[in-house]
Amino acid sequence: MKVLMVDKEKCTGCHQCELWCGTEIASTSRELARAINEAPQPVPRVYVEGQKFALQCRHCENAPCLDACPNGTMRRDPETGLVYVNEPTCIACWMCVMVCPFGIINPSSSMKVAIKCDRCRSMGYPICAEVCPTGALSIVERKDYRKKKF
Amino acid sequence: MQYIIVGGSAAAISAVESIRSLDRDSRIDLFSDEETPLFSRVLLPYYVAEELSKPLLNFRPADFFETNRVTPHLGVKVTSLNGATKTVKTSDGNTYTFDKLLLATGGRAIVPPIPGVDKEGISTLKTMADAEKIYHMQGKRAVVIGAGSIGVEACISLTRRGIKATLLEQLGQVMPTVFDAEAAQIVRKRIEDLGIEVFTGEKALKFTGDKRVTGVVTDNREIPCDMVVLSVGVRPQTELAVQAGLTLGDMKGIRVDETMQTSTADIYAAGDVAETHDIARNTWFLNAIWPCAFEQGHFAGLNMAGQKTLYPGSYRRNSIGNFIGIPAISMGVTHAESCAMTSDEDEFREIRVRTKDAYKKLVLRNGRVIGAILVGQTQKAGLMSILLRKQVNVADSIPMLMSDRLNFMDLLPILRRNADQFSEPEYKELMDTGL
Repeated sequence: MKVLMVDKEKCTGCHQCELWCGTEIASTSRELARAINEAPQPVPRVYVEGQKFALQCRHCENAPCLDACPNGTMRRDPETGLVYVNEPTCIACWMCVMVCPFGIINPSSSMKVAIKCDRCRSMGYPICAEVCPTGALSIVERKDYRKKKF
Repeated sequence: MQYIIVGGSAAAISAVESIRSLDRDSRIDLFSDEETPLFSRVLLPYYVAEELSKPLLNFRPADFFETNRVTPHLGVKVTSLNGATKTVKTSDGNTYTFDKLLLATGGRAIVPPIPGVDKEGISTLKTMADAEKIYHMQGKRAVVIGAGSIGVEACISLTRRGIKATLLEQLGQVMPTVFDAEAAQIVRKRIEDLGIEVFTGEKALKFTGDKRVTGVVTDNREIPCDMVVLSVGVRPQTELAVQAGLTLGDMKGIRVDETMQTSTADIYAAGDVAETHDIARNTWFLNAIWPCAFEQGHFAGLNMAGQKTLYPGSYRRNSIGNFIGIPAISMGVTHAESCAMTSDEDEFREIRVRTKDAYKKLVLRNGRVIGAILVGQTQKAGLMSILLRKQVNVADSIPMLMSDRLNFMDLLPILRRNADQFSEPEYKELMDTGL
């Protein structure tokens, strides 16, 4: 399983990732000048948190959102391991929001769907990493933290 | 290995998935007295409201049994269970033997012993048949008895169908097991704004009408109606467990150990029927909610398939979602006093913040989160959930936790201090960033 990691030495907290995610992925117009006036407001899937750290869905190995979803709207892509919301069937019950340990699922009351990062699974490469001006975001193989048995 | 699963809802399906993640070949027989498989009970109010059609109530694809190579026996009831001979008998006259069995028999809606409760036009809302019955009921006025999650949602469903609904609750507030008085007041206001009449602290004494219900008599009034929905709670379905001599708990659920095994070897229980250790209450409890059922099924399945995996314990979690019109999430205990197993040394704290549109409350025991309520602003509710689950000390972080700017990265110092408890790779890799 691959994960998106942030190099804290390189992240300047410029919010470019948020801006591009919000425009390219979340808006209907896909143009910044129009996106900012869209109603409902586009919701970026990445959050520049704390001092400076771009946080998206971590696509947990044991994802609590998958267990909490009462109608199978939250799904895992068997090939990539990416967890995504099948928006057409989302009933906005916010059970996934209730259990997400990272607080990165947005309960959008205006769009009536749970909004979260699917790491641009249909584009193949995440926009946030692509647009980061300092190259702080990169996709790496998830480290195996389990104690190895010899 | 021969597995038998009794039940066909969240815990049962989750257990099947976990068994299959470890054991691709053994035979799994699943028995469910519901003829419609794989539907989600918590969505039944959405069906009544005409928000979701039947296929959209499914939480797994229709070919689930096929792809997981499960032999389903739908509409077949398991009538007896013998733990010594490891056999079950079923309503279709067959006998099956098992190596490992899961009781995921869930709960049964309580029918309160109110005079006239057997009249036509009165139904619980627990099974698909119930939902169909309520959906097809004729009339313009409904009374819903019991203002828990299902009662409130039933009211809203009926209102959306143009039926005038009255919500009756004998305790002093709506959703008494989910919210404290303050949060309940916010939710009540929303329900009333939808045109629903709400009476709390008022008890249904009898149902009037000849064959069919025409009204509900309470201690204060008589409410005329054409239909009644009973939503006063559920009780675990333990007939098979009792028959097999399994140990039940104080709340009459099936006691299970950390591997979800019952008092009899190779018989497991999970979901609304299982009484587990409640992390927040620090005692045995029946947490009959969807996420707990799914988790417990998952742990039961792994242990049944031979991978010993310990269930960390349950805790209540409720989200009322967009259905009511204001997001509200509640977990654990809502009041310090609802906590059992306390000693004189235990120190409880409740911290509240109320703004115009939002309400947030934390309940702490000895500096550890045991309960949280978030109304209005709920996106970070999961952070509270994980702190509750891990029972780490957060006494020095209260202002941060109560801030409306709280985000995950703020928790990193707490995670590092308790690194042994946050051993999942998702946490480790973020702690590794050096932030």
